[in-house]
Amino acid sequence: MSTALKSRLAAAGSALRERDVDGTTLLLAACFVPMLAFFVVVWVIPIVYALGMSLFASPVRSPEFVGLGNYAELLGNGAFWGFLWNSVVYAVATTGLSLVIGLGLALVINQRIRGGDALRTLMIFPYLLPTLVVIFMWKFILDPNIGILNQFLVDAGLIDKPIAFFSTLEFAMPAVVVTSVWKFASFAFFILLARLQAIDPDLYERARVEGATTWQAFRDITFPHLRGAILIILLVRGIWMFNKFDIIYLSTRGGPLQQTTTLPIRVYQLAFSEVNFGMATALAGVMFFLLAGVAVVYFRAFAPETEVA
Amino acid sequence: MATSIHLDTVRKEFRTLGNTHVAVDDLSLDIPEGSFTTFVGPSGCGKTTTLRMLAGLETPTSGTVSFGDEDVTDLPPQERNVSMVFQSIALYPHMSVRENIGYGLKVHGVPKAERDERIDEAAAVLQIEEQLEKMPAELSGGQQQRVALGGAFVQDPDVLLLDEPMSDLDAKLKSDLRVEIQRLHQELDTTVVYVTHDQTEAMTMSDHVVLLRDGELAQVDPPKQLFDYPNSEYVAQFIGMPSTNVVDCAVEAGDGGTALVGPGFELSLPAGIDAPTAGRVRLGIRPQYLDVGSDGACRLSVDVEVVETLGTESVVHGRLEDGTSFDVVSDAVDDAVAGDRLDVSFDLANAFVFGEDGETILFGSERAGERSSPAGAGGVTP
Amino acid sequence: MATSTGRGLVSHDTQKRLQRIAVYLTALLISVFTIVPVYVMVVIAIQSPATTFAGGRVNLLPTEPSLRNFLVLLGSTDTVRYFVNSLVVTLGSTVLSTTIAVAAGYGLTRFDFTGKSLAARAVLFSYMFSPIVLAIPLYVVFSTLGLLNSHFALTLALTAISAPFCIWLMWQYFQTVPIALEESAWVRGASRWRTVRDVVLPVARPGYISAAIFAFAVAWNDFTMARVVMSRDEMYTITVGASLFLDRVNIGWGETMAVSLLISIPPFLIALFLQRYLLQGFSVGGLE
Repeated sequence: MSTALKSRLAAAGSALRERDVDGTTLLLAACFVPMLAFFVVVWVIPIVYALGMSLFASPVRSPEFVGLGNYAELLGNGAFWGFLWNSVVYAVATTGLSLVIGLGLALVINQRIRGGDALRTLMIFPYLLPTLVVIFMWKFILDPNIGILNQFLVDAGLIDKPIAFFSTLEFAMPAVVVTSVWKFASFAFFILLARLQAIDPDLYERARVEGATTWQAFRDITFPHLRGAILIILLVRGIWMFNKFDIIYLSTRGGPLQQTTTLPIRVYQLAFSEVNFGMATALAGVMFFLLAGVAVVYFRAFAPETEVA
Repeated sequence: MATSIHLDTVRKEFRTLGNTHVAVDDLSLDIPEGSFTTFVGPSGCGKTTTLRMLAGLETPTSGTVSFGDEDVTDLPPQERNVSMVFQSIALYPHMSVRENIGYGLKVHGVPKAERDERIDEAAAVLQIEEQLEKMPAELSGGQQQRVALGGAFVQDPDVLLLDEPMSDLDAKLKSDLRVEIQRLHQELDTTVVYVTHDQTEAMTMSDHVVLLRDGELAQVDPPKQLFDYPNSEYVAQFIGMPSTNVVDCAVEAGDGGTALVGPGFELSLPAGIDAPTAGRVRLGIRPQYLDVGSDGACRLSVDVEVVETLGTESVVHGRLEDGTSFDVVSDAVDDAVAGDRLDVSFDLANAFVFGEDGETILFGSERAGERSSPAGAGGVTP
Repeated sequence: MATSTGRGLVSHDTQKRLQRIAVYLTALLISVFTIVPVYVMVVIAIQSPATTFAGGRVNLLPTEPSLRNFLVLLGSTDTVRYFVNSLVVTLGSTVLSTTIAVAAGYGLTRFDFTGKSLAARAVLFSYMFSPIVLAIPLYVVFSTLGLLNSHFALTLALTAISAPFCIWLMWQYFQTVPIALEESAWVRGASRWRTVRDVVLPVARPGYISAAIFAFAVAWNDFTMARVVMSRDEMYTITVGASLFLDRVNIGWGETMAVSLLISIPPFLIALFLQRYLLQGFSVGGLE
């Protein structure tokens, strides 16, 4: 988090000039001290400490400086790339599907059909329900013994035996993705719906008058308006899903056989199952630098900071 | 109690990342106590910045601001006895109208009974008694501005500052509020400083008008003086609607005396005037002072382009033979059409002559500078 | 209604009708997909397992609602204690995050300094951070300081992940509060502090309520931080405690769904009573 630290120092060191009104030094302190103290104590110090720790093998019991040895071991191990791949697959699948469903639903609701309002209120549910609850719901539905999906599939003759989705190699990741999409499609939905409703309806009127088909209207009017939001959703939610820990841990713990182990899961395993804090912090470090790289791209592309500064 | 205001070489610089912008450039000004003074000028001329320095919301980079004998330059706004009405109206959305008006009194510890009394009085003066218990969001723009005025009124300030309070209002509201503000000025014993970019407001309401240009003082005088005796081309063109016509002329000395030669006309200068005898000058004549026909001393032809009929008179927008745009305001041009050639004339007495530096040389046949600065305005005209 | 200029194989009318059908079909599918899991949860929670699983199948029509699951929950689990833990750390981190955010948002908006752009990026960056990646370092630090398994540590951890977005929210929100409001108060004699109290805070209310809701939702929902910071059963929050239910022999689906219902109540109440503040967060943040 050295960038944050640098900005803090820059702010403090340079002439803090504010509007020409007197007697505000105390106010200034009251505004910035909490935030600065907070960031330093809860973000900067732990991260710096952890990065330092990643340079040691068995740093808790008998610290031994290995420089980048942990990183080398981490990246040299073929399994790492498998976990990275899982992370990417999970992030892409969840975000992509969420986007498609969210977009489809937003387009539908925007048509102002009957029951549209009710449906929109309905979509708040996935957003509201705590992740744990969502997991419980889907674990039940997909349960091999009494899950209703299996019940339905067997009854319909599509399969002979019930499938234990979360514990089957081929179905584990898809099951996790479906669960995640159920919860997160509503984010994409609300954001896209807001953008859609901001489009001037006169534009569509004009297109109709000039003879455009529905597809052409979508392509030439709707899509350009949504492009920005779609990109942001893809990038930001993509990152978010890449970083997700709780959904996967709660549904499969990373199994079966590490099939759904993503990098966040692996970090947890290294720290608490294998109690190897050197490697755990190293992997956390890798993820940190990965995120920093993506963040740079994000800032260059969207300059979101201009909204406030 | 109203106080006079004195600005002494006030300078305000804004520094951002290596650039320094001079908003107010060594401005010196005297505003008499109890007067209604308007700062006017185009965007960026420094009028709002100067007003904010009077309020204490900006501190001068150098120079002093005094109210009467007291130097208030470094005094924060809380400690000056000023009231201010903002362009954006700035009513507290979470307080009722009554609370909005009374807020300043509350801060000063005025007891509730007295507060309510003074609020009721202000509301009566501004005709907003019906609105007292409402919230700002329920009011129209005009009503909101009256509430803001009420808040200022109730403080009984030494100095009342108004920062373009009518920019967001429609024309009818503006004229209503103009009357309100002038009435307020008469009721209160206070010095009013009013900022606007609209010269009609400036001319109709003020005792004195301060015209600024790029942070410097262009002229300070009562409105009529400003209109009849602009001390520069800038002033002549800013004051008056439509703008003064300005034409390039050459000065030629001949046997019959000196004459100003312009596109399509010649104006002889009577003997005895202290006027330049060579070089180029610019001639200014207000559209209102042009007569249709050829009776005046100086005759010229205007190619008509656009005619605006205003009812009692018309405005003709046209061009002289060299392409200079030229306007005529008269009640005798109602039937002019685009493409016509209009003959107009004027007398030297109504014209201004400006030197190449923009400064006025002649007001009619009077030499500029012979007129002393009128007492009372107290402005330092550079 | 006139047909269009004959583009395509079918007339404009038929095209419109087909589109209409597709739209309703999509809506129906998504409704079912969304409702079914919630419905299932509710049904199983309010019926005893005997009724639900009668005959070896799952019966989804509520015939005999009962409170049996909830009673078992309260009787044989530490659900109440878990709830209390959750409440403590959630309220704590909500208050902390909101306070920091309001103070920081105001300061960042009103005061000028170089590096504002950088500060904005830093806030956004920390918002994009993976909680688990922060959790490990926090664990290490807390462990060293002996703060593990304390409400205080978890409150700090939760504030760490909710504060960045709250700061961003308030920063954006204060942009919409004109400084003329404050200047008007100054000119009338109110000190800067007084102005903050009388004018700034009341006007900022919608903003900080949105921020508080966000902080609350993040904390209440959290599993990651709680899982890492707490290892003793009596300190578990409801998310961690309940997640272990399915592993236990004597807790079945009935009780699990019942606790799910209970956990869902606070967010549901917020949505019910504070809906417009939720939407405020969406329009301002755009990210979450």
